[in-house]
Amino acid sequence: MSALEHCWSHCLSSLEERLGADQFRIWIKPLAAEVNADGLSLIVPNQIFLQFIRDRYLGLIEEAAGMFMGGEAPPIALKVGSAARKPAPTRTATQPAAGEATAPAVAETVAPKPMLVGGAQHETTRLNPHFSFDTLVTGKANQLARAAAQQVAENPGVSYNPMFVYGGVGLGKTHLIQAIGNLVHQRNPTAKIRYIHAEKYVADVVRAYQHKAFDEFKRYYHSLDLLLIDDIQFFVGKDKTQEEFFYAFNALVEAHKQIIITSDRYPKEIDGLQERLTSRFSWGLTVAIEPPELEMRVAILLKKAERENFKLDSTVAFFIAKNIRSNVRELEGALKRVLAYARFTNQPLTLEAAREALRDILAAGNRQISVENIQKTVADFYKIKIADMHSKKRTRDIARPRQIAMALTKEITQMSLPAIGDAFGGRDHTTVLHACRTIEEMRQGDTELAHQYGVLLQMLRS
Amino acid sequence: MVLDLQLPAVPSFEGYVAGDNAEPLFMLGEWVAGADDIRFLYLWGEAGVGKSYLLDATAARLEVAVIAPPAPLPTSLPHDAVLIVDGVDALDPDEQIRLFDHYNTLREGTGRLLATGSKPPMLLGLRDDLTTRLGWGLVYQLRALSDGDKAAALRRRAFGLGFELSDEVADYLLRHAVRDLPSLNALLERVNIEALSQRRAVTVPLVREVLLSERSL
Repeated sequence: MSALEHCWSHCLSSLEERLGADQFRIWIKPLAAEVNADGLSLIVPNQIFLQFIRDRYLGLIEEAAGMFMGGEAPPIALKVGSAARKPAPTRTATQPAAGEATAPAVAETVAPKPMLVGGAQHETTRLNPHFSFDTLVTGKANQLARAAAQQVAENPGVSYNPMFVYGGVGLGKTHLIQAIGNLVHQRNPTAKIRYIHAEKYVADVVRAYQHKAFDEFKRYYHSLDLLLIDDIQFFVGKDKTQEEFFYAFNALVEAHKQIIITSDRYPKEIDGLQERLTSRFSWGLTVAIEPPELEMRVAILLKKAERENFKLDSTVAFFIAKNIRSNVRELEGALKRVLAYARFTNQPLTLEAAREALRDILAAGNRQISVENIQKTVADFYKIKIADMHSKKRTRDIARPRQIAMALTKEITQMSLPAIGDAFGGRDHTTVLHACRTIEEMRQGDTELAHQYGVLLQMLRS
Repeated sequence: MVLDLQLPAVPSFEGYVAGDNAEPLFMLGEWVAGADDIRFLYLWGEAGVGKSYLLDATAARLEVAVIAPPAPLPTSLPHDAVLIVDGVDALDPDEQIRLFDHYNTLREGTGRLLATGSKPPMLLGLRDDLTTRLGWGLVYQLRALSDGDKAAALRRRAFGLGFELSDEVADYLLRHAVRDLPSLNALLERVNIEALSQRRAVTVPLVREVLLSERSL
C-alpha cells in the first residue's frame, strides 16, 4: 500500500471520529479513492454529491490528509464517476447487475433506450414481455385466478369467455392478464392480440369520433383474436364508448375470440355501466384477486429482489412484508427504497438497514386507525348508519356489518376485547369474540364476504 | 433610494442545503443522470423544505418545464418523455386521470417522472390507482433543515447578496422570524435592501426594525 493509500485510510478513520457515524456513513463512505501521479482523486457518485463534498467536507478531508502527510496535504481532486458505486455487499458476486458492465464512467444524462419487446409483431400487442406466468407469484390470494387464466391462455375463446378479473388496486390484475396475452402470443405468434387500458380505449373512441373513422375503429377491434382490456371502470359515464365496446364484445364473442377484462370491482357493483354490458360480463368466468397474504408478500419480495440481482435475506423480506400490507405496488416501492438505501450507504442489507430505510414510510403507514374510523368505513361500505354500529338492532343487514367491523377492529387495533365491546354500544367481550369467530368462519366458506372483508382491510390500511 | 434590481437567486443544486436529505438528493442526482433503475421518483414534505426549488433546479439542468397544478398537464406524451410535476395534491379529478394515463405511458416506455406532494402517496387522498403508482417508484421525504443548516444557508445567501451574515444576526433571524427557508431568505433580502437604503450594516437592531415595521403594516 502506498503512502497515499495509507493516507486515505487514515483520513477515513479521522473523519469518522470527527463527523460522527451518521454523517460519515452518508457522505464519506460512498466515496472511492484513486491514487494517481497528481495525488488523490476522490470519485463521487454524482454531480450533486460532488458539490456537497466540495462545499462541506473537502476542507476537513484536506486537513486530515495534511496531518497524516506531515503538514502538507496532497492535491485532492473530486470527480464524478462510477467507481464509487460499488455493488452493495449483498448482491450476488456471480451475477453482475444488468447494465453494470457497460455503465458509463462519468454520470451524464443518457438517451432513453427503446423499449425491448419481442419483435415487431409483439410490439403491436402492447404487451409487456416481462409479465409472464413464470414471473407471477402465486398464493391463496390469486391461485384461482391464475388457474383460470392459464386455462384461458391454453384455449382462448373456448373455456371462459369473457374472463373478468376484479380486485383492488395494485394486486397484479394487469400482470395476470398480460401473462395470458404473452402465452397466447408465444403459442401462436400470428394471433392478433391487443392489450389496452380502458382509458386509452376511450381516447381511441374519441379520436375515431373526431376523425369520423368509426369504420376503421370497428374493423380493427372486431378483427382481434384476443382483446385484453384493463380497468373497465373507466368506461363509467362514457356512453358512446360503452356502445362501441358492446358491439366489439358481441362481434368477438360470436366469433369465439377471447375477451379478458379487469376492474377494481365486481361487474354488478360498477355503477354507471350499462346493464347490457354488466350482464354480458357474467357470461364467462368472474374471478377475484385478493390482497396477498404474508407468505405471498414475502415470495413477491424475494422474486423481485432476485430479478434485481440482489440476494434478499428472508428476515428482511419478512420485515418488509409484515409492515407493508395493502398492495403489491407499495410493497415493491418499499423494496426499491431498501435496495436504494443499501446502495447509497454501501451497507449490507441487514434488518437494521431495512428498518432505517423504511423509517419514514413506516411512520406514515403506522398512523393510528381508530375504531371510529373502522365503524365509519364499514357503515359507508354497507350503506348503514354509523349509529347502527352501537344499536341493539339484530337484523342481519345491520348485525353482519357490525360483526365485520368488530373483527376488523380486533385485527387492526391493539384494543382489548372488552374495550371493543364498549365501543360497539357497550357489548360484552364474549359478543365480540363470537363476532370475530363467526366472521372468520364465514370468510372460509363465503367468497363474496371474504372479498368484501379484504377490500375493507385494504381501504383501512391504504 | 435603492432600486430593487437584485437578481433573484436562480435555483441550482449548488444552492440547495441538503441537511438530512443526502439520500434523496443522491437519488435525484441519479434520476437526473438517467439511471435506468430510478425512473419514477416522488418527493414529499411540508411547505418550505425545498421541493419546488429542487424541481426547478432539476428542470433547469434538463431544460424541461415544471408543471405545477392547477396548471394543466400535457394532453399527450411520448413514451420516452421526462415529466416533472410539482404539487400533485392540487390535481383535480380529470387531471388525476391524466397523470395516471401519463404514468402508464411512461412506464410502458422508457420515460421518467419526478413528482412532489405534501404527503406520502398513500395519504394524498387522490385516486387509489394514481397513488399506488406514485408509491411504486422511489419515495422520499424531504426533511426540514436543522437550525444550524438554515444558518449556513442564510450565510450563503447573504454572501450572494454581497454581505457577511454574523452569527448573532443569523441566530436572531432563527429565533424571531418565520422559520422556513424561503421565508427566511425573503426576509434576508428585505433586510439587505433596507441596509443599502439606510447605508447601515446588517445588524440585529436593523433586522428588529424591519420585523417591527412589517408587523405594524
